[in-house]
Amino acid sequence: MQKSKMPIITNPGKVGALFFLVLSIGYGLYAFKIPLTFLSQDETFNARTMPFVLAILGAVFSLLMIILPTMESEEPDSVKDIVQGLDWTRAWQFIVLMVAYGIAITWLGFIISSILFLGIGFYLTGERRIKVMLIASIPLVIGIWLLMSKVLGMYIAPGEIFYMIGVIK
Amino acid sequence: MWDGLVTGMMVGIQTTLIPFNIAVVLFGCFVGSFIGMLPGLGPITAVALMIPVTYGLEPSSGMVLLAGVYYGAIFGGSTCSILINAPGEAATVATAFDGYPLAQKGYPGKALAIAAYSSFSGGTIAVVLLMLTAPAMAHVAKSFQSCDYFALMVLGLTAVSAFAGRGGFIKALLMTVVGLMLATIGTDQTSGVQRFTFGTINLLDGLSFVMLAMATFAITEALMMILKREDTTEVFGSENVSNISNLKVTKKEFKKIAPTIGRCSLLGFFIGALPGAGATLGSFLSYGMERNLAKSEDKKEFGKGSIIGLSAPETGNNAASSGSFVPLLTLGIPGSGTTAVMLGALIAYGIEPGPRMFVERPEIFWTVIMSMYLGNVFLLVLNLPLIPYFARLLAVPRTILIPAIAFFSIIGVYLVTFNTFDIYMMIGISTVALLARMFGFPMAPILLGFILGGLMEDNLRRSLIIYDGSLSFLWERPITLTINLITIAIFMTPLIQLILASGKKSKTD
Repeated sequence: MQKSKMPIITNPGKVGALFFLVLSIGYGLYAFKIPLTFLSQDETFNARTMPFVLAILGAVFSLLMIILPTMESEEPDSVKDIVQGLDWTRAWQFIVLMVAYGIAITWLGFIISSILFLGIGFYLTGERRIKVMLIASIPLVIGIWLLMSKVLGMYIAPGEIFYMIGVIK
Repeated sequence: MWDGLVTGMMVGIQTTLIPFNIAVVLFGCFVGSFIGMLPGLGPITAVALMIPVTYGLEPSSGMVLLAGVYYGAIFGGSTCSILINAPGEAATVATAFDGYPLAQKGYPGKALAIAAYSSFSGGTIAVVLLMLTAPAMAHVAKSFQSCDYFALMVLGLTAVSAFAGRGGFIKALLMTVVGLMLATIGTDQTSGVQRFTFGTINLLDGLSFVMLAMATFAITEALMMILKREDTTEVFGSENVSNISNLKVTKKEFKKIAPTIGRCSLLGFFIGALPGAGATLGSFLSYGMERNLAKSEDKKEFGKGSIIGLSAPETGNNAASSGSFVPLLTLGIPGSGTTAVMLGALIAYGIEPGPRMFVERPEIFWTVIMSMYLGNVFLLVLNLPLIPYFARLLAVPRTILIPAIAFFSIIGVYLVTFNTFDIYMMIGISTVALLARMFGFPMAPILLGFILGGLMEDNLRRSLIIYDGSLSFLWERPITLTINLITIAIFMTPLIQLILASGKKSKTD
């Protein structure tokens, strides 16, 4: 076992702890904004109590992580080592695609938006065989839709666009 | 007590043997094995992905389905470890130590068969132990008060962190606190005031645990796969698929692993029954114990394809999986990340797990237990012959797998509330979780903290009201005091180890 000599700014555990320290402080400060009734202000335990305790615990554990030496079986990878060489562009593209799916599902409805999401998703992750992309998306989406709406009786609303263009009135 | 046991078993058998529930067990085992077999996907992801399906089922059928998925995923995970040395999750890491070398020696079928027989035996023995111990435990738990529950929850959360390992103890504690913080979002059930809702009505009911489970496990896993640009398509070649059909295990080999199965079943069960320990510790401790007990010639084989080295962790992790149902069903406290997700599912059904469930909803309690027998049989009888076909699933390209995981996660969240806000929230949380995971912060404690947060606050509030605002509830009752002392011991041990190691290092420097 060895004590890490890595500076705080490159030590992933300590960088993470710093983030959670800020989060805990922000959470604690926001806890002051929790509204209290006149009577509950004098209660031993009110809606603010638990958040205050958690903010303190979060800050204490974060500080412990920052202050205490990192005891690892071997020198941990630095932040740079961890984040370098990864396909960040593709990951961000995929995150944007998921957000777009969230928007599209309301407007285009479940079936169209899901087929588009899967098709673009397959393309983004490197699939180029059109046949595979079609077989893996269309039957899956229609199968899920049938299962949910026809078998389990769940109402899946059609897309807003169909109301707007007058297909559904 | 024995009358109750027999009556309960009968209720469980009757409910389990309803054709629909048999189909549910079968489906759960099959889906669990399928998901567990996919590299990178473990039982938590498998169970979380299936939760939306359970909403259309009766509570007992829903829980049977999730239990089937759970042990199916554990079983499936070992296949992935053995064939491509890529454990889907921590509980099957030890399986790869000897399973993969055995498969590489040209015996992939034998390795999978030994894993299947060991899993079956470990699972079945542990279910018998669960059946015998859980009612007694639930009986004792009936005398528990709010302060005892609060103390137990603190113990569970501390134990989960303590078992995270020396380097990860504080990280896990921090993640538990983050989970507890997330649980405070929404309307406070007692006072009715809004907390951390930022003025949006979307947060009035708090965060959905399905959303949190998907965000911290399924979506994060998909993003990790994209970041690492891995593809397993070519790893398990077609020549190995043809060898895989030979599942024969000799009598001599059975004799050799029989004592291992007995010992590891007991060890795994008791480890699993401890809050926080779970299948990972069960498998590693079983492996370690058998290596220490092995004769010198057998010991040399460890790491090179030893059948004892393969059988031990497989028995241990399955026994521990069944054992982890003890705290869940009797105390309402999950012993692992997966059982935490199952606890969330029970709460979503409006059922409060714990001793009251044992009295008020015995059919759920006993059906889950009896379905485990059936599940273990299904896993052995149906999955074993299907292994050669399942193995081909390992060749599913990531280009298909990643969007499919994301799709199931998103619709799983969306179809529960039909609110796209949950989708955006899930994506936001998964992005932060991705970075946290890359920096070595564990995700399971977040789920545990989140699911126990509300119950913990309620019990703390009630205890303080009963004791007139005094903290004496922490030590006045012997049960509470005992639990708190155990918590303090668990909390202090890794810290003392850390300080001692730090001091030693400073001296040598």
